[in-house]
Amino acid sequence: MKVIESIYSDARIPYGTWGSSYFPAWQMSALSEVNIGQFAGEAMGRILSLRKVPQTALDFLVIGSTVPWHWKFWTAPFVASCMGHRIPGHHIEQACATGLKSILSAAAEVQSGDSEVVGVLTFDRTSDSPVGVFPERRAYERTMALSDVWDNFGFDPATGGAMLSTAGIAARKYKIDKREVDELTFHRYKQYFHAKNSGFLDKVLVPLEVLNIQGKHLGTIDSDAGVRQISLDSLRSMRELDTCITSGTQTHASDGMATLLVTTKSKAKELSQKPEIDICLVAKCEIRTLPGLMPEAPALAVQKLLTMTGLKITDIAVMKSHNPFAVNDAIFAKVLNCDWHNMNNTGCPLVWGHPQGPTLTRVTMEGLEEAVSLGGGYVMIFGCAAGDVGIAAIFKVSEGGK
Amino acid sequence: MSTSMRQTTLETLGLGTTIDIFTKGKLPVNPDEMIDRVFGPASNRGSLVISGANGIVGAGKLMQFGVRLQSYNIPMVAIDFANAPDGIGGQYQGLVSSFGKGKADDIMSGVIRFNYDGAKLPSYLKSLNPKFLLEAIPEILEIKKAHYKIFREAFPGIEIRSVTSGFPSSELGVGIAHPAFPHQINKIWEIVEAQPSDITKMLWALGMIPMTVGDNWSFVLDVLFCGLMLAGCRYHDVSNMPFWKLDKFIRKWLGPNPYRAHDVIGAKGANFLTWSCLHHLSEHYGDLFRPTAKLTEQKNSGANWYPLNHLRPLINWSLGDDEIKEFENIVLGIMIQMTSLLVHEKRAHFTIMNSIGEMCAQFRNGMLAYIRSIGANSAMELVESYHKLYPQVSNGAWYPDVFDQIESTEWQQLYVNAEHDGTVGVISIARESYNQDVNDELNRAIDWLKAAKIERVILSGDFHLSSQLVGADTNEFFPAVTDAEKGFNIAFEWSKTARRLHSEFRNSVGFIGGKRCLGGMLELMSHCHYVVAIEDADLGAPEVTLPVIPGMEMCHLPFRKTTKENWQKLLKLLLDGRSIKAREASGWLIDYSGNMEEALKMAWQLASDGDAAIQRRQLTETPITNLTDFVTGLPDTENEVINASRKAIFDAVKSSCSVDYNAALTLQAKISGDFMTSKYCKNGFIGTECNKTLSV
Repeated sequence: MKVIESIYSDARIPYGTWGSSYFPAWQMSALSEVNIGQFAGEAMGRILSLRKVPQTALDFLVIGSTVPWHWKFWTAPFVASCMGHRIPGHHIEQACATGLKSILSAAAEVQSGDSEVVGVLTFDRTSDSPVGVFPERRAYERTMALSDVWDNFGFDPATGGAMLSTAGIAARKYKIDKREVDELTFHRYKQYFHAKNSGFLDKVLVPLEVLNIQGKHLGTIDSDAGVRQISLDSLRSMRELDTCITSGTQTHASDGMATLLVTTKSKAKELSQKPEIDICLVAKCEIRTLPGLMPEAPALAVQKLLTMTGLKITDIAVMKSHNPFAVNDAIFAKVLNCDWHNMNNTGCPLVWGHPQGPTLTRVTMEGLEEAVSLGGGYVMIFGCAAGDVGIAAIFKVSEGGK
Repeated sequence: MSTSMRQTTLETLGLGTTIDIFTKGKLPVNPDEMIDRVFGPASNRGSLVISGANGIVGAGKLMQFGVRLQSYNIPMVAIDFANAPDGIGGQYQGLVSSFGKGKADDIMSGVIRFNYDGAKLPSYLKSLNPKFLLEAIPEILEIKKAHYKIFREAFPGIEIRSVTSGFPSSELGVGIAHPAFPHQINKIWEIVEAQPSDITKMLWALGMIPMTVGDNWSFVLDVLFCGLMLAGCRYHDVSNMPFWKLDKFIRKWLGPNPYRAHDVIGAKGANFLTWSCLHHLSEHYGDLFRPTAKLTEQKNSGANWYPLNHLRPLINWSLGDDEIKEFENIVLGIMIQMTSLLVHEKRAHFTIMNSIGEMCAQFRNGMLAYIRSIGANSAMELVESYHKLYPQVSNGAWYPDVFDQIESTEWQQLYVNAEHDGTVGVISIARESYNQDVNDELNRAIDWLKAAKIERVILSGDFHLSSQLVGADTNEFFPAVTDAEKGFNIAFEWSKTARRLHSEFRNSVGFIGGKRCLGGMLELMSHCHYVVAIEDADLGAPEVTLPVIPGMEMCHLPFRKTTKENWQKLLKLLLDGRSIKAREASGWLIDYSGNMEEALKMAWQLASDGDAAIQRRQLTETPITNLTDFVTGLPDTENEVINASRKAIFDAVKSSCSVDYNAALTLQAKISGDFMTSKYCKNGFIGTECNKTLSV
């Protein structure tokens, strides 16, 4: 493994302290009934308990979410109090880049020396989108209502286009063939179910029982509800909504939370279930491309990051992406000249959904777990966001300082 | 001269033994004489002063004394700072609910309120001739001492008791009467004084339950209850488990809901008191009692332990095997270690030490009974496992040697004592409800009397800790809700024990001297050759309301002991569930009722001379074939569960009466056990409580 100096040399992610809820598809679970901020806070307390981390070890909390939730004004300290240990913190929001951006923010907190153990807690509920009412002087209605999830998906105010249309535009630019996209999607489902059946996902995902107002069982979040086996034939038979885009080759809205810790080197050894495993953040980059070309943005971010670090794509042991459209991965393979079969080995948002805030957090955890199972290496995490933004980060997983 | 298995708890109050009460035919003291001794004769009564009277304790105790002292024309003086929020007015509605407006007004009219500045007493106080000061001011040592000084200077002969939960009498310079929550109705007081005083005897005579405890930093109740809070906080620290869920696990293992209790009492005050208690204990005994950072934060913030209503918990917590082990090691380890300290320091009579947890802190079984049930080795292993997690607590306040006493009579007879004078024995039960521990101890008490060749026996409450006998401890039925065999075993074994009262003594007398005797306790008494009760005692079989089927032979035994014309009354008692007064039950359910002294004398006479006093009701051992098919005078109900339970109990009566006495033992136990697995029981009180307690 090439040695690259880390941008946050003092920050570490303690192995085995992370966890995520399953991501049930929107409206398919008890999560559509709850305050997701409270749920995430309580779930974090439970996950830390299972990971043998006392919540009192945390001294700062970075939360990340994109869909407004009740009492969000009170931000991280409120969510922390739901966790059981009220601490200071702040809120990060950058559309689908939120999860990774939150991890980066936590690393910066540790690097600054201001905090020793920073919790990263990302969550979103896309079910039953809140509706905001905004005074708009320039609209003839004077007052406009916005259904936060679907209205934003359908309309980028900067371009006037829908999120979905960016995929079609990018697919046409790169001359992506629908047959390849269908095969790619089919492969991604196979990867997910293989990881699920092998028990790999159990290292990351934690079943959680949700209670109703009377304290009785409301539901158990113990599967990525809505994800089902899919055949290549059925993918091929689906109607194209835009170039290469069908209901099968794009992600779906879902609900969930994901949490991990960022801390100092010494504290990571104390908190980790396997102190000999060292996980650090090597480098990160964020770029934007032309308006409406969102699916190419991750590839461009990775390209830039490799240039910055001097690493080659072949130096990367694990590549995982947030890919709301299958064309993202097809474009990535074309731009980076690599084989899309060899990435997203344990599943990806294309398959298990798109709750936005926690999406890249879960992607990161799965990527780090995969690297640990491989004996270490560089982990490239990347994804797109907000119409034309790409984000990428490289983590290094090593064992015993190797 | 009498002999006893162990010391009676009454003796710790200077009130003699239980057998003394029967031999003398009267209680050791009565309220009138004790009021005279404490407050002076009726012609020159002094007053009761409660300082800090607007606080939770002060106002509660003002009401409790008000109810009891109102008929004696004793002025109730409430004294507090002028700017203290009114805590007394809010008590009025409770009085109205309990006693009606008329009596509530009478009680409140006896309350005289004074403001003072803490430095000098109101001049008018002198005219009220204060005789007894109950101090309930804040837990600050120097302020308390100064408070006593001004009272002593003004009223040199005044008796002072502090309600402190933490400071020893030796630090305060006054005796202690530490009451248990809720203060309006809880009759228990922890008493610290060199010798039993008239105040303490007066409390007993007024129907309250004083319990003598040692003069240490924090008394038995607070060590146990605050200790349990701390134990939970320590587990919280390692597990993150929220307190609402911790309460459920603590309740499942031990009984209390300490965090809910703090919120109900008022978290701001209760958190402070708990912290203060633990803080002082840790100053003396080290890290075992050191408050955690969370507990200190809760003390400082005064925040509730449970989430606010709009943040009711969303995520449930379950525990895996390893987590359960960790929970046991920490929570039980701490509690057992703290109990070892209480025993080592001889903080109280074992029965009192054990009962304080049950009667004041919701422990299902007191800590001594709990330790006995798991055995000394398991108890020590739990503490040692806890020490592996917290080595710093292993060096102090750990006394494993005390478990060498676990086989002593004092530890083995926590609930049941026996005494005899060479001819007549008295078995006294110091627990209001019957459970397996009582059953085992009762067997040992009977064995002890039999070994001494005692053939005459009185079975009674202990005139101290069991002021009433409420029936079977329904917690014992939880395993039976899902397993009929367990229900059968309970009914069969308890009935077998009860039958010994009939079969192994020449004369046995069940004595009901408290406010009520219900359910399983009434069944137990009914096995005696005679039952004697004070005339105002309530007797009843509330099983139909739970519902369960009486399993200690109430469904056939009383029918075999009375004539046909009384069977309707028995059926109505069983199927209605409402209690009757003992005076109404004489001649068919019991043998005699009278006032306390008459009843005591009759019980002793019957035990000593048998039929010379009253003709014994004969037991029909052959099947009863002519039982009626209907019940008269039973109020109709549309409640499906009550109707189904009535039918089941009626069927049980018919079945168990239709066989001979010997066969009925097994049959009625089987019917009772089977019914506990029915949907009626599962959906009823016991099933619901079982679910609430065990399904966490």
